[in-house]
Amino acid sequence: METIEIKLQNLTKVFQAKNKEETIAVNDLDITIPAGKLIGLLGPSGCGKSTTLYMISGLLKPTEGRIFFGDTDVTDVAPEKRGIGLVFQNYALYPHMTVKQNILFPLENLKMDKEKALERAQFYADLVGIGHLMARKPVQLSGGQQQRVAIARALVKEPRVLLLDEPLSNLDARLRLQTREEIKRIQKETGITTIFVTHDQEEAMSISDEIVLMQEGIQQQKGAPQDVYDKPANLFVAKFLGSPPINLFEGRIENEKIMVGKAQFGRAEGKKDQKVVIGVRPEGFNIVERSSLKVTVDFVETIGRDTTLIIQKPEGAVDPEVLKAQQEESDEMIDGIEEGSIEETAPEQKATFRAIVDADNRVKPGDVIKLSVKPHKMFLFNKDGELI
Amino acid sequence: MSANNNSYETQRQIRTKKIVRNIFLYSMLSLFAVFIIVPFYWMILTSLKTSEQLESVDTLLWLRFSDMQWGNYRQAIFSAEAPPFLRYMVNTVVVAAISTVGTILTTVLSAFAFARLNFKFKELFFLLLIMTMMIPGEMFVITNFITVNQLGWVGGGQTYTEALMAMSIPFMTSIFYIFFLRQTFKQVPNELYYAAKVDGTTDFKYLWKVMVPIAKPTIITITILNAMGTWNAYIWPQLITARQPLHRLVSNGLREVASSEFVNETNLQMAAAFMVTLPILIIFFILKKQIMRGVSRSGIKG
Amino acid sequence: MLEEKNNLKAWLYLLPAIILLSIFTFYPIINAFILVFLENYRYIDGSYTGWTLTGNISVVVNSGLFWRAIQNTIFIVFVSVPVSVIISLFIAVWLNSIKKFQGAYQTIFFLPYVTNAIAIGLAFAVIFSTTGGLFNYFLEAIGLSPRVWVSTGASWGRAMFALLVFITWSGLAFKIMVFLSGLQSIDKQYYDAARVDAASRRRVFLKITVPLLSPMIAFITITSFIGAFKEYTAIVGMFGENLNPGVGRNMLITIVGIVYQSLGETYPGATSEAAAAAIILFFMTLILTLFNMWVSKKRVHY
Repeated sequence: METIEIKLQNLTKVFQAKNKEETIAVNDLDITIPAGKLIGLLGPSGCGKSTTLYMISGLLKPTEGRIFFGDTDVTDVAPEKRGIGLVFQNYALYPHMTVKQNILFPLENLKMDKEKALERAQFYADLVGIGHLMARKPVQLSGGQQQRVAIARALVKEPRVLLLDEPLSNLDARLRLQTREEIKRIQKETGITTIFVTHDQEEAMSISDEIVLMQEGIQQQKGAPQDVYDKPANLFVAKFLGSPPINLFEGRIENEKIMVGKAQFGRAEGKKDQKVVIGVRPEGFNIVERSSLKVTVDFVETIGRDTTLIIQKPEGAVDPEVLKAQQEESDEMIDGIEEGSIEETAPEQKATFRAIVDADNRVKPGDVIKLSVKPHKMFLFNKDGELI
Repeated sequence: MSANNNSYETQRQIRTKKIVRNIFLYSMLSLFAVFIIVPFYWMILTSLKTSEQLESVDTLLWLRFSDMQWGNYRQAIFSAEAPPFLRYMVNTVVVAAISTVGTILTTVLSAFAFARLNFKFKELFFLLLIMTMMIPGEMFVITNFITVNQLGWVGGGQTYTEALMAMSIPFMTSIFYIFFLRQTFKQVPNELYYAAKVDGTTDFKYLWKVMVPIAKPTIITITILNAMGTWNAYIWPQLITARQPLHRLVSNGLREVASSEFVNETNLQMAAAFMVTLPILIIFFILKKQIMRGVSRSGIKG
Repeated sequence: MLEEKNNLKAWLYLLPAIILLSIFTFYPIINAFILVFLENYRYIDGSYTGWTLTGNISVVVNSGLFWRAIQNTIFIVFVSVPVSVIISLFIAVWLNSIKKFQGAYQTIFFLPYVTNAIAIGLAFAVIFSTTGGLFNYFLEAIGLSPRVWVSTGASWGRAMFALLVFITWSGLAFKIMVFLSGLQSIDKQYYDAARVDAASRRRVFLKITVPLLSPMIAFITITSFIGAFKEYTAIVGMFGENLNPGVGRNMLITIVGIVYQSLGETYPGATSEAAAAAIILFFMTLILTLFNMWVSKKRVHY
């Protein structure tokens, strides 16, 4: 299979509702997807990631911008002429056809020689590990097996690009782990440029060569998963990646010192005095003998080698006004919140934060401990959420 | 101890109550079931009686097997005075086949357009169709009768083909079936269509290769309902074949029996009536599940 | 692509249905409203002598048959619909609460749906006949004297009674099916909750079953009213084309009967009279349907 690079240039999609109201689903996206890589399009629901995928597939037409496969502009090319394979969230297997008929269906449209088609169908069925189920109907298969049939059906045309729309969200937790390894393996074996869409950061981080984080139709950051995790470009990215999520503190820079209330978190050399939001990864703390960051432990959860401490934030780390407003809001919205949706206005305010420390530290609830902050696990954001 | 006793009493009370209730339920249901079956029983019973037995009180409710006059059926169908029943049956089957094939074709195509395609005035046109469903069919029959007359399909010189066309073409589409099938088509997930598009399947191929097989139960229901409709059609064929009795359908033939030479021979009338009833009953018992599910679904969706 | 409008393609899919509907549905509706204003129209050659605003309507209204037809129609509508809706609702509820033989009973209650109206009409005529009829035998058995129901000499009331028994019988199957599938789709949790609350069966029926079934009840009531307004074939099945018990004419004529009888005539103006009767029928059903919809909007839950 030839592998190609995909280039999205100023890609924009505006949906118009019946009442002429316009929503910008994808806003001026510029991404280059290197040939032969597995790319995860990641973001909360409604961020435009699926729309982007559908535009790459050709099922949706961009309002503005161009799409290139290699050097060819495919923006106005019909889906079937693009040489893509698409796997849907609900698999979209034809229920009245057997596995074999499902996999053969794309080849029938290509008017391929029957024997050759059969041979190829069997090859891809074997590749995804469902070669022995060819005579079954989709209802007789488990979710994971259906998923594989869908992938085989997408691959059988030997497309230049494989697109997967939330491929794991309909599977249970155990199958999800297994299937994502499987997708990675199939992608490696075929070397096909693959884009997959997900709202699950762990899923994206675990198998992608690169991830593209999107929010409200705008690209937030692109890069290798660990790079993005280690160097978040903004507050949104910092909050979206990581489990448990990053801890946020209200603070300020004062004489190049990073201060939260009376506690010093570290130094910010060459940065001018201002109010900041400080993000610290849970693994970014050390228990030390001497520090101005003196805190009380509320709860202790020990799981295996790690201990998670739930700790009261130091005085001044929480803006009481913001906290109160957020609590009221979340009480009202408790049912309306979608999975993966994240507040992006004010930084999240909680009265406690988490620190993951070595289980050797015998800390009990109620203890007062002193913490230091690892500088490379700490990020500073201005009031617009941009990294300083 | 007394608490135990109490609960034992209640248990028994509950059981007694349940038994009483079941007796009530089954007797009511059986009563109405008898009410439903009586006409069938009476039809068969009467059809097997001799003319004398018709009036005899001894044979009123039942007949001995040896007394059954199976010859009545031969007489009702083949005797010189009898209308040409077999011919009517052939006519009916032919008309049913033509109109059903036509109906399925037009219905599948339009239901697909409404369920899957986007086009201007879609909602408006659909609303117009729904409103038309509210209008009694008698409004159409008048002008349709004039139309087939003007086409020369009715009258003394009517050819067989003309009769077939006049009895089937006006019924080759049905707004109700379009609506019914559209509902089924709409339940097919959009992703199936997108998947087919990505694979380069044309709309037409997608319709016949994916939508139609998935909607097969509904299409079979429409086929059955439509064929049954033709089998039971009385008014329109009566108007069309008023002057060409050989082109009649079974219902017309049956009514003819009742008003012809056989007017007083109810046994022969009933033999003919049962001959007309039997084919649909046979089809019903073969496709029972399909028909019953289809009808209750058509009711809920309609 | 996906959200694009495919105007030409969509209308092409709709074309066969549109052609047929235009000729046999849309045009006839408009034409009915033209015919009713034509004077001395003859469908044979399409000739007419002029226009008239109310001429055809007044001929129909003053024909002497009209008020009898109105009376019969209204009687059929307002007796058969409530009776059959209530009976089928009860049968459906009973059916839904038994376990053993549910399928068998269901099959029996479905039988009236798969029969020929003319054939069963003839069978009912035999059941109600004076010679060897089951109904008179039954009356004698319970100590009442036999009467004339469907033959010469029958009074209007008796003939109408026999007819209503037949019409009710025919209408049960569809209603039971729709109600039963409605009942089966009600979440069992409601009944468990009611049982925990110690609600009586009567209360459960009135406070849970009927409200949750109200969309189906509304649907069935509306369609049955429309169906009952158009009753004609059943009357022909039982009493013959002259719509009368025995000799005589038109004792049991309905509005639709006027439509078809006028349509069979060739004198100038006959077709316009048929159109006039059909339009009167249309407005009657329209008013009743709107009234029904208004009531169900207020009463149907969810």
